[in-house]
Amino acid sequence: MTKHILASSLLLLTWALAPLGAQAPAGKEELKLKLPKPMFIGTPTNIRSPNLEKVTGKPRGPVYVPKGTTLLSLNEAVTSSDDFPVIGELDMITDGEKSGGDGFFVELGPGTQWVQVDLGASRALHAILAWHYHTQARVYRDVVVQVSDDPAFKKGVTTVFNNDHDNSSKLGAGKDKEYIEVAEGKLFEPNGAKGRYVRFYSSGNTTNDLNHYVEVEVYGLPK
Amino acid sequence: MTRGGAGALVAIALVTGLALRVARLDVRPMHHDEANQAVKFAALLERGEYRYDARDHHGPTLYYLSVPAALLRGQTTLASLDERTLRGVTAAFGAAAILLLPLLTPAIGRTAVAAAAWLLALSPAMVFYSRMFIQESMFVCFTLAFAIALGRLARGGGSGWAAIAGAAAGLAAATKETAALVLPAALAACAIAWWTSPRDGVASKSPWPRPAFTGVATAAAVAALFYSSFLTEPAGLLDPFRAAATYLDRGLAPESHVQPWHYYLGLLAYSSSDGVWWSEGVVLALALAGAAAAFRPPAASRPGRAFWVRYLAGYAVITLATFSAIRYKTPWNLLPFYAGIIVLAGIGVSTLVHAARSRALRAALAAALAIGGLHLGWQAWRASVTYAADPRNPYAYAQTVPDAVRMASRIRDLAAHHPARALMQVSVIAPPHEQWPLPWYLRTMPHVGYWSRPDDALALQAPVIVAAMPFTDELDAVLDGRYISEFYGVRPEVLLTLYIERGLWDRFLADVTGNAAAAQ
Repeated sequence: MTKHILASSLLLLTWALAPLGAQAPAGKEELKLKLPKPMFIGTPTNIRSPNLEKVTGKPRGPVYVPKGTTLLSLNEAVTSSDDFPVIGELDMITDGEKSGGDGFFVELGPGTQWVQVDLGASRALHAILAWHYHTQARVYRDVVVQVSDDPAFKKGVTTVFNNDHDNSSKLGAGKDKEYIEVAEGKLFEPNGAKGRYVRFYSSGNTTNDLNHYVEVEVYGLPK
Repeated sequence: MTRGGAGALVAIALVTGLALRVARLDVRPMHHDEANQAVKFAALLERGEYRYDARDHHGPTLYYLSVPAALLRGQTTLASLDERTLRGVTAAFGAAAILLLPLLTPAIGRTAVAAAAWLLALSPAMVFYSRMFIQESMFVCFTLAFAIALGRLARGGGSGWAAIAGAAAGLAAATKETAALVLPAALAACAIAWWTSPRDGVASKSPWPRPAFTGVATAAAVAALFYSSFLTEPAGLLDPFRAAATYLDRGLAPESHVQPWHYYLGLLAYSSSDGVWWSEGVVLALALAGAAAAFRPPAASRPGRAFWVRYLAGYAVITLATFSAIRYKTPWNLLPFYAGIIVLAGIGVSTLVHAARSRALRAALAAALAIGGLHLGWQAWRASVTYAADPRNPYAYAQTVPDAVRMASRIRDLAAHHPARALMQVSVIAPPHEQWPLPWYLRTMPHVGYWSRPDDALALQAPVIVAAMPFTDELDAVLDGRYISEFYGVRPEVLLTLYIERGLWDRFLADVTGNAAAAQ
């Protein structure tokens, strides 16, 4: 009985005080906004052709690296958080083929996933490129690129790029910008960071919840 | 096949078809068209406002026939509506089409009806579009009802069938403008079958003017009721005629959605994208077997069957040819003629079963049909749930991607950190095609404004701004670093930028990262 009385009193109090929360401060009044309504319009076009140029603007300028820098990742071993890709094989990620059509990309499961390239030995790295999926204008979420000599990435980790600005992948909040996938790939600048392993994270994209890789390239000094 | 066996098969097909149509109805993000129609429906629900738009959005039945479903679920406002209520209506009509098929039992036999019921229940196209809040499943239901009633009338049915045909025609006309193609196609097919089939003394019991008058009067009365918003908008009676010019122009000289003549057949036969393939070829193959039966000499014991097989084959072929000839094509427009093809495929199954003389051959045929049916059902599930919003799904056309739902969720989360809460202003600055389905997903926020150009100071004062990509350079300059930005997809190839005032973002981020730290 006491509980009922208490509950009823609380309800009454809440009801009585509710208008106070909506009251304007002294000398002020709520601005009544007249906002335009959406226009009713028919079915949009089903876009199939890429419109990357319109979205992305200018091509990337030249990339300068120390003399002797070479492609270290070609045909090197790739591992992943998803051992059984939905589509494709992991070795397609370092096979040198960058066309994004059927049969040239790997599809990993939903949520945060990573792929990791083993360069065989620790090297000073000067350019890293990644192509997630570039036959469509997409933004991949929570792109994080890290370098380490530890295959488990528990110690000695250098973060080269991180655009997970709300820390939703729990790798630490990043300050880098999101970007739209393009045919020329995304350049990450490791600035000489050393490591044997390079790990690429992502967490879905603006079209679906899955993760894709057409190719990654890691450039550095061979010794 | 016994009556009990056929009845059981149709009943199980109905349950299976309904289950495929109503399971996880909220899994696919609301399509642009669904959101448009949901907001229009809410105006009818909340304020009783409806007026047929002669330029778009098709007929009034979808809106009026959705009212009972919303009231049944206690939803009386846009904010309270949900996907299950809206899509539940079209899913019910999709399943109701299966229930119409037993009316064909005296005409094409139990085996054909049971087979057609299963194919209709399992067809990925039928299942997928029944789960969309668009007119198609209703239209299929009404046009199929019209075709069946017309055939029954031609085969000696009474004026009751004339009234049913009229009511179905009226409902079809009040559902979609393409009734102007489908209803005459059924009449033409019926006339051809009637003239080419052997006379067996069975004909309409009344002289033809009387049922014709009954049918036309019923159709006109039903359509008039809907187009006049139940007699509250008498001027609406002229709107379908005004719309004729719009739809004629769209069909003959479309500005978008232009496809080659074989688009529909190709879509049904085989499609593949990025390693995922789809096919309803088994239905097409069985329909060919059914169509072949139309050219066989009629059996003396079943003269009426010749009429029905020719009628249904003619209906499927004429509607397919008509829709294929029109340059404007969207994938859901295949449904009316595909319903005819499915019935024809049922006849094909019956033809093959009766042609298989040995028990072993029949067992092999049953096994092949079971595998084909399972494959269709698996594809229906995959299209409707697993790949519901994936661009690789050929039935998903200009489909909203899940990212748009995430953006709306982000906006609501941000509003929770703003002093105005749900009353926070949100400005959407994008061309109209890129604004939808945001009005649906932001329906609980009353201060969302929509602009098609970034040149209004009122729009730029909002703490959260959604902008189309072509406007970002201009907005970046105006907002001058006071906002952070995120990208979100709304449809394949269509991205939007979400601008968030820095102070609001910092409060939001402090909260989510603080909660995450506390959870660890």
